[in-house]
Amino acid sequence: MQFAADKQLPELGESLEKKMASFDGFEYEVIIVGSGAGGGMAAYVLAAAGVKVLMLEAGRDYDPTKETPMFHQNHEAPLRGTSTSEKNFGYYDATVDGGWQVPGEPYSEAPDSRFMWWRARMLGGRTNHWGRLVPRFTAADFKPFSTDGVGTDWPVDYEEIAPWYDKCESLIGVCGDNPGLDDTPSSSEGVLLPPPKPRVMELLLKSACESLGIAAVPMRRAILTEPKDDRQACFWATPCGRGCSVGAAFQTTTSVIPWARKTGNLKIVTNAMVREVHLDDARKASGVTFTNRLNRKNVRVNADHIILAASACETARLLLNSKTEAFPNGLANSSGQVGRNLMDSLGAGVSGHIPALRDRPKYNEDGHTGNHLYIPWWDREGQKSGKLNFSRGYHFEVGAWFSPPGMGIAGAVDGYGKQAKDEIRSNYGTNIGLSLRGEMLVSDDCYCEIDDKTVDQWGIPVLKFHWKWSEQELNQVSHGLKWGRKIIEAMGGVVNNPNRTPEEAIEAGGQIIHEVGTTRMGADPSNSVCNKWGQTWDVENLYVMDGGVFVSNPHKNCTITILTLAMRNATRLAEQLTARMEH
Amino acid sequence: MGKIYQAKMSRRDSIKRLGSMTAVIMVGGVSVACDTAKPEAPRSASIPSTGHWPGIELEPITGPTYGTDPIVSAPTAPWPLTLSEEQKDQVALLSDLICPADQRGLSASAVGVPDVIDEWVSAPYASQRRDREQIVNGLQWLNDEARLRFGSHFIGLTEERHAAIVDDIAYRSQYEVAQFALPARFFSRFRRLVFGAYFSSPEGIEDIGYIGNFPIIGDYPGPTSEAMEHIRQVASAQGLPPITEYVNQ
Repeated sequence: MQFAADKQLPELGESLEKKMASFDGFEYEVIIVGSGAGGGMAAYVLAAAGVKVLMLEAGRDYDPTKETPMFHQNHEAPLRGTSTSEKNFGYYDATVDGGWQVPGEPYSEAPDSRFMWWRARMLGGRTNHWGRLVPRFTAADFKPFSTDGVGTDWPVDYEEIAPWYDKCESLIGVCGDNPGLDDTPSSSEGVLLPPPKPRVMELLLKSACESLGIAAVPMRRAILTEPKDDRQACFWATPCGRGCSVGAAFQTTTSVIPWARKTGNLKIVTNAMVREVHLDDARKASGVTFTNRLNRKNVRVNADHIILAASACETARLLLNSKTEAFPNGLANSSGQVGRNLMDSLGAGVSGHIPALRDRPKYNEDGHTGNHLYIPWWDREGQKSGKLNFSRGYHFEVGAWFSPPGMGIAGAVDGYGKQAKDEIRSNYGTNIGLSLRGEMLVSDDCYCEIDDKTVDQWGIPVLKFHWKWSEQELNQVSHGLKWGRKIIEAMGGVVNNPNRTPEEAIEAGGQIIHEVGTTRMGADPSNSVCNKWGQTWDVENLYVMDGGVFVSNPHKNCTITILTLAMRNATRLAEQLTARMEH
Repeated sequence: MGKIYQAKMSRRDSIKRLGSMTAVIMVGGVSVACDTAKPEAPRSASIPSTGHWPGIELEPITGPTYGTDPIVSAPTAPWPLTLSEEQKDQVALLSDLICPADQRGLSASAVGVPDVIDEWVSAPYASQRRDREQIVNGLQWLNDEARLRFGSHFIGLTEERHAAIVDDIAYRSQYEVAQFALPARFFSRFRRLVFGAYFSSPEGIEDIGYIGNFPIIGDYPGPTSEAMEHIRQVASAQGLPPITEYVNQ
């Protein structure tokens, strides 16, 4: 792909039929709503190609190079950095004005439904704190129905997306390798940066997995293990969830957004909460109205092309709230699919401790502060042959290292005095946690819609979530609990809560923060919202470039595929627009 | 150590409460009814025959909080501290019983654990408010129990008498003993906070041997040869395939 960052824009002459839209003296052609993975990538691709972009971000401006205290320790923070209702992932988590609740912006859950919705109100959105785990989808992941008759195929296949995965991984920087398993498609040569050495417990895990006939391999993470462009390499310290001031852990605020700004083709308006997309008479989108969060004033801005990348659920909400005569059920919703097909990853944990590792030799296990190895899904064959009672895979992420001590370090210690103190010292670094992340099936029971009884502080109707796990998910968690225990026991470990049931172990919908599917793409306009380019079937100049376009939610963490699809689809749009400009 | 503890309630008030109160308190998020007037069989001559729990109901702490967008590079805890001098003395004493100085590290109070606990129980968040309820009542229970057994508040007792009371509530098995069920839960929670605050202090981090949080130029060094040798032995003793460094397949 050619990023024409330094290309001179052609003079805007008479060949353009109408004047470009402008805001605050800035003329632009495309509006992007949202600055996270999808919006940030789309803005970069377009701006680099010479297209003028106005980006609207609901949250405040945010600069990790100035705001992230990388080396602060827990004792410098209130409550030793512990999670509270205001900082749900701990004091130093990067999330601004968000978490499971955003002040003044509620959401509701239908009776008997449990759904948790993580939002951030900041430039860069959730890319500022995400886990940076970036496994690729496989060929089968894109074609679930063709593979086993369950679910719906994507309108794209792996062959089509693979070169874009390569381009995207090369751009953002991904460490890992190509173990060649059927759950781990390979990147082209030269794309990946080297993974860090495993820690000793990960080596023990790998050995235990081998004894069980399964594999533990390097986790792909969007972490620079070598310097790249204007970003530094990881210096092997401080949790990535705080944000990375040196740019080693990928987030849009240290990469694609500043790069796009440098072209002069991107203007960003922060504190701009988009509330409605407008339609002109010709069934084209004409612009959006946002509420300025600082003065509560509504502002209308027009554009020739509009890209929604506000996150799967916010984008669905925006469309559902943009009702017109032509679209009484919400914009671009003639299929009735907007808000439907909501999926998250399955989450469940298995933990234990390994007595043989008491008082093990100390060394620096910070690494890139995520898991260096993980366990990809290993039994697609079992599913093909009908041996398993669930049809989708999962993986295990691993937490097993000398992490910085926090308020939970006492663990299960009993008693008091020197004996208890020594017990904690000896047990330090013996705990292991395996986090199951699995694929759920798309379900009619899981969706979001507008709650017609509640508005947020800006007067915008809020979302109501419906959620119900099916037998498929519970069977998968049951399998995962059994295997997680087997793995820990094979390591010589003692499992915590060995009798926990799948119903107890399964986390709430939304809790893994991988929500996708609410504006899915497809080959058929009657049952999908977007075509395979993220362009809505109903409104030709309206695009979705966030996780809403996913057709299924493979157990691989969704962000790399959001980034990749946004890169691909924004490139196509850029080619169309620049071709027109040059015409 | 600070001042001698002065009870806010007189002894007579305290005993009166013990005799007549049915309190409902939150323990670990679960509402537990505790009928303090119901007599129970004495466990031994020195232990009072009646289970008791102060059931002090506190005005909820309502703010200020640090908000959803604190300046994380300059952290502050904006809420006022609420423990009295006497309570803080008692927290210090109990913290040091739980986490005494030894040859490997300092005591809890020497690294400021009571200040952390004061900040903790004074915080306006739901979880900390529950802890405050449990801890303020637990501290009062210790005083009540000390008076019933030995005729003095807790802080004034000898080491042996501290141990006599603490031994009855320091183990989770005591959850099953009716008159210690609530105090033992208080103790578990308090112990968790004490050790958390101790080992996350700069001195505690050194004590436990965490190595990290400094920048390394170049590749991540990975395990030391000593750590590799150790994990190989562990794998071998477990009958596992030999540990190898990960090699790209």
